[in-house]
Amino acid sequence: MIEVSHLTKRYGSHVAVDDISFTVEKGCIYGLLGPNGAGKSTTMNVITGYLSPTSGTVTINGHDIQEEPQAAKACIGYLPELPPLYTDMAVREYLNFAAELKGMKKKADRAADVARVCEKAGLQGMEARLIRNLSKGYRQRVGVAAALLGNPEVIILDEATVGLDPAQMIEIRALIHDLGKSHTVILSSHILSEVQTVCDRVLIISGGKLAAQGTPEELAARLAAKGVISATAQGSREQVLKAAQSVAGLTDLRVTAEKSDEVSFTASSTDGADLRAALSAALAAAGCPVLSLSSQNLSLEDVFLQLTESDVSADSEQGKPESADEAETAMPLAENEESAGTDTPQDKEGE
Amino acid sequence: MLAIFKRETRSYFTSMIGYVVIGVILAFIGLYYTANCLVYATSDFSIVLYSTTLVMLFVLPALSMRSFADERRNKTDQLLLTSPVTIPQIVLGKYLAQLVVLAVPMAVACIMPLILTCFGTVSLTSAYATLFAYCLLAAACIAVGTFISVLTENQIIAYLATFGVLLVAYLMESLQTLFTSGNTLAFIVFCIVLAVASVLIGFVCKSITVGSGVFCGGAAVLIVLFQLRPAWLLTAFNSVLDALALFSPFETFVGGMFSVSDIVYYLSVIGLFLFLTGQALERRRWN
Repeated sequence: MIEVSHLTKRYGSHVAVDDISFTVEKGCIYGLLGPNGAGKSTTMNVITGYLSPTSGTVTINGHDIQEEPQAAKACIGYLPELPPLYTDMAVREYLNFAAELKGMKKKADRAADVARVCEKAGLQGMEARLIRNLSKGYRQRVGVAAALLGNPEVIILDEATVGLDPAQMIEIRALIHDLGKSHTVILSSHILSEVQTVCDRVLIISGGKLAAQGTPEELAARLAAKGVISATAQGSREQVLKAAQSVAGLTDLRVTAEKSDEVSFTASSTDGADLRAALSAALAAAGCPVLSLSSQNLSLEDVFLQLTESDVSADSEQGKPESADEAETAMPLAENEESAGTDTPQDKEGE
Repeated sequence: MLAIFKRETRSYFTSMIGYVVIGVILAFIGLYYTANCLVYATSDFSIVLYSTTLVMLFVLPALSMRSFADERRNKTDQLLLTSPVTIPQIVLGKYLAQLVVLAVPMAVACIMPLILTCFGTVSLTSAYATLFAYCLLAAACIAVGTFISVLTENQIIAYLATFGVLLVAYLMESLQTLFTSGNTLAFIVFCIVLAVASVLIGFVCKSITVGSGVFCGGAAVLIVLFQLRPAWLLTAFNSVLDALALFSPFETFVGGMFSVSDIVYYLSVIGLFLFLTGQALERRRWN
């Protein structure tokens, strides 16, 4: 569907995107994830033909964006980071214009399509309003609606949920999820939970390079070298620990809480194998009933931090204070992002 | 292209700018028409147009300043450049919309010579030929303004730069008289132009060798020419200045002549600047 190969974009001496290659399959939702300034928007701008790559090629549906820009652009609906809205136009007028730009010649076709996208983006009743007078959230919706015009095969959304209130965010995510059934969607975000819930596949970009790609689960599994188990068992501390130590391959035992006759602890396996069954059996054999037992999987968030932090430490050699950079990468976390808004820094230790 | 053209035209007429441009042009043409033709009773309509060319310097940059500068500032160019339209279509759509605004006062001006026929004999051919050249001149000014607008994202800078360029073009005839004496002066000016060009080429190619090579080669040619055929330099210099005097071909028409070469000149200026606009727009994608 979309093939990006050895894409490099330089601004003067600054390399924004450095030799990125990936393929986007039809009918999947792709998430482009990365800290600020990682090159997400630049990559999207090159894919949509707004910028020219310094080197490398982008092929959309078999059409090279440089060689056959018209055919390639016709397959794409794009919502840039800042929706390109003419504020002196009314919503319907603007969407009509965008539809005509996309080559919809007949007036009736345009009107029908504009009505369709207005309904999808939740703009009913706003069609006659001037874009100038709309709130940020509604402007964002107009941008989304414009991207849907003409039912393009590929829809590219750059930070589509920025500036929306939590209810709207959920709505837009549902819309993206819905679009994924019939379209190929690429969305960029720095909100991990959004990517984790919505996307089928994730591309993590850091410092202009493709740091990792795969399904959210794959990425988590790949980096979960040590399967961490947390368990609570009934019995005395010595009894429980002795039983746990008897399991082959289980190390790094740590007691996290201790109540009257309950012990909670975490342990990790050396080779990454799932040792829950063995641990449960060992505890049972030692006469310590297991009260809870779960394996702690690495979330996408942890993967993201691991991948981007390795870059940060490389950067810090050049004199950058590491803590400041970490604060930047750690910025957009938290599972409960929906209610927290977008840019409240969250304490990652709390997760 | 049609979509862009329609949107631009509508936006000129939903905002004040279209009406202001039309109003100011019509006010001045009307003023000179009343004074010259109706009060002073001359039958020569072209003198009215000749007197109002100065108005173009102030008004037309206001029309062209927003064409691309505004798009870039609001990032709406992202919509145009990621849509399946070609860059020539974008440039033409925007340019034609400006011509539509210009066409309104020109259409009104078309009636003026006809009114004069009620009072006596009027050379309609001369009047309409001049009006035609007047339109071409204005269209050329708009093309220059459109090109300058694509270079900046600030409308005010676009306005002032266009005004400055048009003012130099307007004054070029009188400026030219300063340069006609002395081959040495022409030689010096050519050397300065060569030096600037060499520095630019050097920067673009990122190589000092290329820059100095161009300068040495050019300087050698200039020195040889200056020694052997000094008059050539002056002639060449003057024809360059001639080409920059955007307003002077129009005077041929005011003088009552229909000059095809001047029409070709204006059409070339329009073509050149629209081409440059497209190139500048294309080039922006590479930076």
